[in-house]
Amino acid sequence: MKNQANPWLTGNLFVLALGMLPAILLIGALLYFTAWAFAFSFTDLALVGKKSVEWSWVGFENFERLFTRRGFLESLWTTVIFVFFSAIVGQSVLGFLLAATLRGTQSSIRGVVEVCIMLGWLLPDIVAAFLWSATTSQTGLINQLFVVPFGFKPINFINDYALPIVTIANVWKGTAWSYLLFSAALDSVSREVVEAAKVDGATPFQRVWLVQLPIIRPHIATNMLFITIWTFTYFPLIFAMTGGGPGRQTETLAVFLYNQSFSRGNLGFGSAISVAMLLIVGVLSLFYLRMLREPK
Amino acid sequence: MLRTGFLTTVAAISLMAAATIPARAEVSIMYMESFAALIESGIEKFEAETGETVNAIKLPGQGYDQRIALDLSAGTAADVNLIDSFMVSELAAAGYLEPLGTQLAGWDQFQYYLQGLLEVASYQGEVYALPTDTDVRMLWYDLSNFEKAGIATPWAPKNWADILDAATKLKEAGVQYPFQLPAGTKQAEAATMQGVYMALLGADVPEGDRNRLLKRDTNQWIGDSPALRRVFDLYHQVYVAQELNPADLNYATDIGAAVRAALANDQLGILASGSWEDACLWDCNNPPSREERDAQVGWTPWPGSGEPGTKATTNISGGWTLGINANAADKETAFKLLTTIFDEENFKAWTLANHRMGVRTDISESAEYTADPFLAEATGLAADTTGRDTIPGYQTVSALIQQATSDLLDGVSVEEAIETYHNALVDEFGEENVITYE
Repeated sequence: MKNQANPWLTGNLFVLALGMLPAILLIGALLYFTAWAFAFSFTDLALVGKKSVEWSWVGFENFERLFTRRGFLESLWTTVIFVFFSAIVGQSVLGFLLAATLRGTQSSIRGVVEVCIMLGWLLPDIVAAFLWSATTSQTGLINQLFVVPFGFKPINFINDYALPIVTIANVWKGTAWSYLLFSAALDSVSREVVEAAKVDGATPFQRVWLVQLPIIRPHIATNMLFITIWTFTYFPLIFAMTGGGPGRQTETLAVFLYNQSFSRGNLGFGSAISVAMLLIVGVLSLFYLRMLREPK
Repeated sequence: MLRTGFLTTVAAISLMAAATIPARAEVSIMYMESFAALIESGIEKFEAETGETVNAIKLPGQGYDQRIALDLSAGTAADVNLIDSFMVSELAAAGYLEPLGTQLAGWDQFQYYLQGLLEVASYQGEVYALPTDTDVRMLWYDLSNFEKAGIATPWAPKNWADILDAATKLKEAGVQYPFQLPAGTKQAEAATMQGVYMALLGADVPEGDRNRLLKRDTNQWIGDSPALRRVFDLYHQVYVAQELNPADLNYATDIGAAVRAALANDQLGILASGSWEDACLWDCNNPPSREERDAQVGWTPWPGSGEPGTKATTNISGGWTLGINANAADKETAFKLLTTIFDEENFKAWTLANHRMGVRTDISESAEYTADPFLAEATGLAADTTGRDTIPGYQTVSALIQQATSDLLDGVSVEEAIETYHNALVDEFGEENVITYE
């Protein structure tokens, strides 16, 4: 093929470089923070004190400590549970079920339900955290309405079941996104295909499982990709509700990272945690991106 | 040619415009909500006197220490900052704070500050911040719940066993939080100071600093000692073995508000805290009358563990300070704001209304101060007090202690908590700076 570019442009390196400048700046800005975290994960940089100015290289020490010291592996496990139950099972499945059920209903009912689902999403995290703490405490609404009137002793939910409670709170908070995405995806499945399956004698379950789900597979993967990344690094709701506690029961990686970096003041170790998180989320993203591809 | 000239002119005009826009002479200050009464009245006076506007950044107490460290290290902090006194030396070591020596020499009220308290706010002999107040620590208790549990008041426990005994009775009487002993990372400094250090000081003999976190003559951190093990066991007893307190107050969305609510609802038995609670158990900026307070709560010094040779009662003091950012645009104006807040009239009124322990002789020797019964008694406790180990590194050690209490609360054994703590100290400071007491 003939080169279509302007000979004046291709011949002038300076102009070419100038034209590339915005792109280089953009990519540089994107890489800067990751590179910063990556570089400092090999140092003993501290937040305050002498080591905040006179830090030194420590090799792979910070990464070794991820595995030889208490904290990282426990937090990783907590994060996996949190992501699996609140994002993948909770938000995704609930969002899909809501979207599938509400499709056939009257638009007025659908509108009311949609607004209700959206409210959780629209509420700021800190307000939501206060609401959930107050609702699930020993003197909270759940105890007052459902436990005490039936003659049971009040249960301190937020203390005794901290991880399940923050998981449920996050399902409540994040389902709107999955619902909206699946709603739009299901709208794109043409009615003829579903009708044809019906005529062929497919049961309602088969119509969903064998017809609709395969068609919206890319949407599922996109949704999974987003909510996994968000939930994996999600911080404000958990931190405000429990601060990672009681003990370490709700200390997800994001909270662990915060505690190590800003309470303990060890930015080097904090950077190592963030690099590890980056790798884990990266691998998960690759997995979802493969799912996005059409099957051969 | 015309084009080039045009472009050059545009560039030149833009540059000139940028240079002539005046930098706003606004001075900023960041502080915690609980100090609003002191600082906001100071700001008002400052604005009235100088005509400058002050950008006041008021924050909740939750996470304040982390925020100030982060803001100063990132270069985004306010000009004047309220800083927990223990952080001053570390922030000064990093070069984040402005040394105040020269400016203080020209201020007539500087002479009244107590030397010992200035030392806490100094680094390498130079003062970097001025103290707002100091404190003592004690056990507060709810009178109505003590009556319900059949414990005689005034309560005077002689050792830890007495505390646990009272907590058991309170638990049996149905009190929800029999012994609120600050624990965990969300409590931050409160877990170290109001909880661990108060117990630690009475957990072993003072000789060789066996009852501290740091061996002060050699500046070595103590990674394992009988005292630490006893304190960790106390946490284990309270939160796990005897279940004398649920953990949730330590992780509440707003811990201060949750503790106040628990007191108001008569859910609190004993609270390990400090002298500021005389005002702050209600509202730091609007405390109730002396009569109302005395009808609701009492307090007693923290007893020692009861081990032979240990102290009968313990105490450790801290306090808050105001310092100036080393990157403040106009340091003179910032210093002017500082001295307006600390001007005798403003400072004294706040100290008295809030029952804060005075840091200046012109206030603490005044007739109104010495006539206050609470301050008189608290000052008695201050006769035998000590401070934190405020050498650089303390903040890290304190965070590790908080983590240890978190782990204990989670059911981790004392042995394992000690091992984790010791290893983390070695990671941070090297083998040669960590010792073990058998």
